[in-house]
Amino acid sequence: MSAALLALALLAVPAGGNLGPPQGAPLAGEELERETHRVSALLRCPVCQGLSVADSPVDLARDMRSQVRELLSEGYSEEQIVEYFESAYGEFVRLEPKLTGVNWLVWLAPLAGLLAGAGVVAWALRRGGAPPAARPAGPDDALPADEHLASYVLKARELAYGWPGGARPSEPAGAGTEA
Amino acid sequence: MNRRVLWVGLALSVPLVAVLVANLGRDPRAIRSPLIGRAAPAFALPTADGAASVDLTELRGRVVVLNFWATWCIPCFEEHEVLARGAEQFADRAQFLGVVYQDEVEKVHRYLERFGQSYPSLLDEGGQTAIAYGVGGVPETYFISPDGVIVEKYEGALTSRALSALVESAARHGAGS
Repeated sequence: MSAALLALALLAVPAGGNLGPPQGAPLAGEELERETHRVSALLRCPVCQGLSVADSPVDLARDMRSQVRELLSEGYSEEQIVEYFESAYGEFVRLEPKLTGVNWLVWLAPLAGLLAGAGVVAWALRRGGAPPAARPAGPDDALPADEHLASYVLKARELAYGWPGGARPSEPAGAGTEA
Repeated sequence: MNRRVLWVGLALSVPLVAVLVANLGRDPRAIRSPLIGRAAPAFALPTADGAASVDLTELRGRVVVLNFWATWCIPCFEEHEVLARGAEQFADRAQFLGVVYQDEVEKVHRYLERFGQSYPSLLDEGGQTAIAYGVGGVPETYFISPDGVIVEKYEGALTSRALSALVESAARHGAGS
């Protein structure tokens, strides 16, 4: 670029022309670089898939980082800078949506899901924790009429429940029906 | 199934499925520009030949058709003729401007020499103006009313019909209707 062209390029309206007065202190040096990275990480690269401006290698993200650096060096605050990009690209440019209106759902839904899941697990544990012996006696204890089949059922009960001979141990309720 | 579990499951899954279905055919990138209806961001940029600069604020009273383009962009090439004809057709009431997006000056010179230009193309060193307009790709064209408000943004290669309609729309906005 020629010197004349460079001089004309400098005519460009400075970044942040519609941001009002800077609300912070001008940054420089290492702090400026650190803050540039931090604020750029709050912005979504508009042409990337889920990458922040800080992480994206594309030209547009590079230009946006340069602009963030310039605005920080002029004393603009994080919120002013993010709002500046939002005014051009929409709320989409915020990697973290603002906590307003329906956006609360985005923040609260995972927490609500977690609590609901914990509730379901607790309920299932409490329900499944009851001892099998507490199961009331009922028609399930009846044996098939076929003697051969009945012997298998008794064997299965002995193995599954530890009932001697497959017969329900005598309880106060008097459940054992088969010998 | 336990009826309570069924209701809890439905309460959790139905809203999620509804959100997914409602947005199934939607392009997440197709977001309406927040700049529409607002004052066009000011700029003063040098022309590609370096001979002058153009200040948007000095163009009040005319419709401004602001086209972001690049030499490496095929749709930009496709709409070049449409814009060139439009600039002549609406010369009495609209100022057409090109803003070069992420390109090299030498390539821009060669392109304009080869294909001609009927309106100024401006250099946006550092892409500040493109960012101020929320440009995410090219071509993108903004239609600015005579009172300096962005009336519409058009993404992709313009057709003659769309160009005419949007210039008329911007002109009407300026007339206060």
